[in-house]
Amino acid sequence: MQPASERFPPHILESIQRQLAEFVAANPGVTLAVLTSGDGFEVAAHPHMPIAQRIAAMSSSLQALSEAILREAGLSRSRNLIIESDGGTIVVLGIPDTSPRLSLAVVASGSEILGRLLWATRSCCAALGRSLQA
Amino acid sequence: MTPDQELKIVFTGPMGAGKTTAIRAISDVPPVSTEVDNSDRTACDKESTTVALDYGQLLLEDGTAVRLYGTPGQERFGFMWEILCSGAMGVVLLIGGSSSTALADLSSYAQTFQRLNPDQPLVIGVGRATCADGRQLDAYAAALASRGIVAPVFDVDVRRREDVLLLIETLLCILEAQVPEAEHAAR
Repeated sequence: MQPASERFPPHILESIQRQLAEFVAANPGVTLAVLTSGDGFEVAAHPHMPIAQRIAAMSSSLQALSEAILREAGLSRSRNLIIESDGGTIVVLGIPDTSPRLSLAVVASGSEILGRLLWATRSCCAALGRSLQA
Repeated sequence: MTPDQELKIVFTGPMGAGKTTAIRAISDVPPVSTEVDNSDRTACDKESTTVALDYGQLLLEDGTAVRLYGTPGQERFGFMWEILCSGAMGVVLLIGGSSSTALADLSSYAQTFQRLNPDQPLVIGVGRATCADGRQLDAYAAALASRGIVAPVFDVDVRRREDVLLLIETLLCILEAQVPEAEHAAR
């Protein structure tokens, strides 16, 4: 099995890795950011931790389920997937203009304000999308 | 129509074994699918892959409603296996007969799903069983027996409704046979 990260040129991966690190540094409540393929592979993550692989697989399942329930309800494509708990928040957003689709899963502590987290994650996704097309 | 009884059955097996196709072949309603583009063509050369579940429904002639759940095939989605097996009455394990890893897949998935679903029946469907190396169904039964697993093995074409129904009916027969005699008498 070819690791998902090896499907991208090294210079693009380096750029993605740097952007994820900057994103996490700029948002102190964010504890993990994982760039994920639609079929559940970790492409890149910051910080590096074993749980990132499982978060990648789980977020792709949840995103596929959210697409399925939107189809059943006759609604359009999923924009944001948000899971809130007392301890924190997980958001999963698609990277624009990627095919096959890539997503960014972000884990944040309870101190992070949802609106701010969504705004920052969406900005990061847009930047990642530009890097992937470079 | 209100069903007389409801059963949950799980379809599992490795990537490309035909779980989505099997549920599509027998479901009375358009199945719920969570297929996405497959980015790992080295593992399995198919365009799409299930990443969460398949879901279908089947109403049998005796009024039994069967809820059909298909699992993702890859081990990285093992967390979905546990979720989907909760409350299941039995498991249909599909194996691609033309795969070079068919026997290893059989042993691995049969053991995993017997652990997740102890005491529930397991039925094996081997797809495309006419193998280039002449492997016969007996080899699959022997592989199971060597692991101490007793389960019927069928040669199936998962695109054919009657083949998939045979697997379901076999599961139901095993379940029926497990019902204590006192309960039979009360029916």
